[in-house]
Amino acid sequence: MLSSVTTAHKLARSEQIMMLADRTRGVATAPGWSGFVVVLCAMIIAMAVISTRSDANVIVGATRTIELPRQADQSIDQLRAAYRRPKVIPFPKSNPYTLEKAQLGKILYFDTRLSAANVLSCASCHSPAYGWGDGQPRGVGHGMRVLGRRSPTIINAAFGLIFMWDGRAATLEQQALGPIQADVEMNLPLEDLLARLKAIPEYSPLFKAAFAEQEITAPQIANAIATYERTVVSARAPFDAWIEGDEKAISDTAKRGFVTFNTKGNCANCHSGWNFTDDSFHDIGLPSEDVGRGKFLTSVVKMQYAFKTPGLREIARRGPYMHDGTVSTLDAVVEHYDKGGIDRPSRSELMKPLRLTTQEKSDLVAFLNTLTSTLVPTAVPVLPR
Amino acid sequence: MSIASTSQLAVPAVVAFLLGGAVAAALAAEHTIHQKGKVFSAAELAIKKGDMVTFLNDDNITHNVLSITPGNDFNLGAIGPGHSTPVTFTKVAVVDIICAIHPSMKMQVKVTD
Repeated sequence: MLSSVTTAHKLARSEQIMMLADRTRGVATAPGWSGFVVVLCAMIIAMAVISTRSDANVIVGATRTIELPRQADQSIDQLRAAYRRPKVIPFPKSNPYTLEKAQLGKILYFDTRLSAANVLSCASCHSPAYGWGDGQPRGVGHGMRVLGRRSPTIINAAFGLIFMWDGRAATLEQQALGPIQADVEMNLPLEDLLARLKAIPEYSPLFKAAFAEQEITAPQIANAIATYERTVVSARAPFDAWIEGDEKAISDTAKRGFVTFNTKGNCANCHSGWNFTDDSFHDIGLPSEDVGRGKFLTSVVKMQYAFKTPGLREIARRGPYMHDGTVSTLDAVVEHYDKGGIDRPSRSELMKPLRLTTQEKSDLVAFLNTLTSTLVPTAVPVLPR
Repeated sequence: MSIASTSQLAVPAVVAFLLGGAVAAALAAEHTIHQKGKVFSAAELAIKKGDMVTFLNDDNITHNVLSITPGNDFNLGAIGPGHSTPVTFTKVAVVDIICAIHPSMKMQVKVTD
């Protein structure tokens, strides 16, 4: 196909054609104007055909294999350097940190009056008591209804690139008002939410201190809650002490587990970096009918049954695991990956049977246990009346 | 006046057809976008109508380049390391492109006349 030929090659080819045309002009003895018209029409047709081969605006050509230079393997010290904790929590320019916003956000986060039945707050499902989740296989919403997926943690959400298991919220601000309004969750329409908060006198000075605006609005609520959520970060874990050079901080078993995590276990391809997530979407071959992100990208095979890679900080205290809480222990998680999951077209290329030894499996779990920090207990705020 | 026979016209017609095609294709420029390190090598790319953009996976993991602009849709599917796929843009448009697997990989192709 002409489209896959390089520019240099194409120019050479047109030169060849020019030479061929020169030679054939001598042979053909077509009389005068009729021959000329035929030739001109052929050229115009050719240019039209090549330029717009179909009605499609975009034409995809054939995929070719190319040779890539071989990459050197990383040393364990280079690997450790890639896992250093950041020193600063990022806040977006559109919603910068202020103490007043964070304080208001914390109050809203714990306020059950943000739900229709006055019993559910953000903290009900994203609770500091359970590693900022709820310890359940799946969340429980309005009227004690069991929801479709497990409540994700908000730990280190400040560093996230996209939110929710299927990635449908681009920012924390976008996510914050979702569960409040969802009929299966907190079930409170926005006008009712605003009316309630305006009717609580002690909220008024808190909103004014945070936003200096006359009226309480929905964007302010989202911005305050998101600001508070960004302050929830994992503390320094034994793993971090080892990364920073304390060789006694973790056991030799855990150190071997870290190496397996980055090599034979194939874990770091998705659970990458200091927060152990690539914020990307993969089908890991779980037997669930939930198509995850595939619901929004129905024509993309790799997005069927694909869910966002969760982070692994505090993971030992955050079971049960997976988007539906069907895997109860870290040993069972490792088993799932060792087997490779259901082999189907949507399954990530990175999932395959690993053939880990019993030692390698227990090393991995020992390593994962070093990601637990001593989280400072969170004081529940006194709510405005 | 005599009418030229078909055989006398055939060769120059075919030659002219090939020449026209070569001229059309030779006017188009080519661009390459790398994906190494889970990032597109250009956040924005300005091209002309008819230009070709080759998406090269020189990363060590699979990527799935996808256009999210209606009317200029394309989906390259899951393509592993060591493969390249050419995409020709034939209409004036602004096309937003992501990797479906890693949506933090984003770029925009601006197609002009």
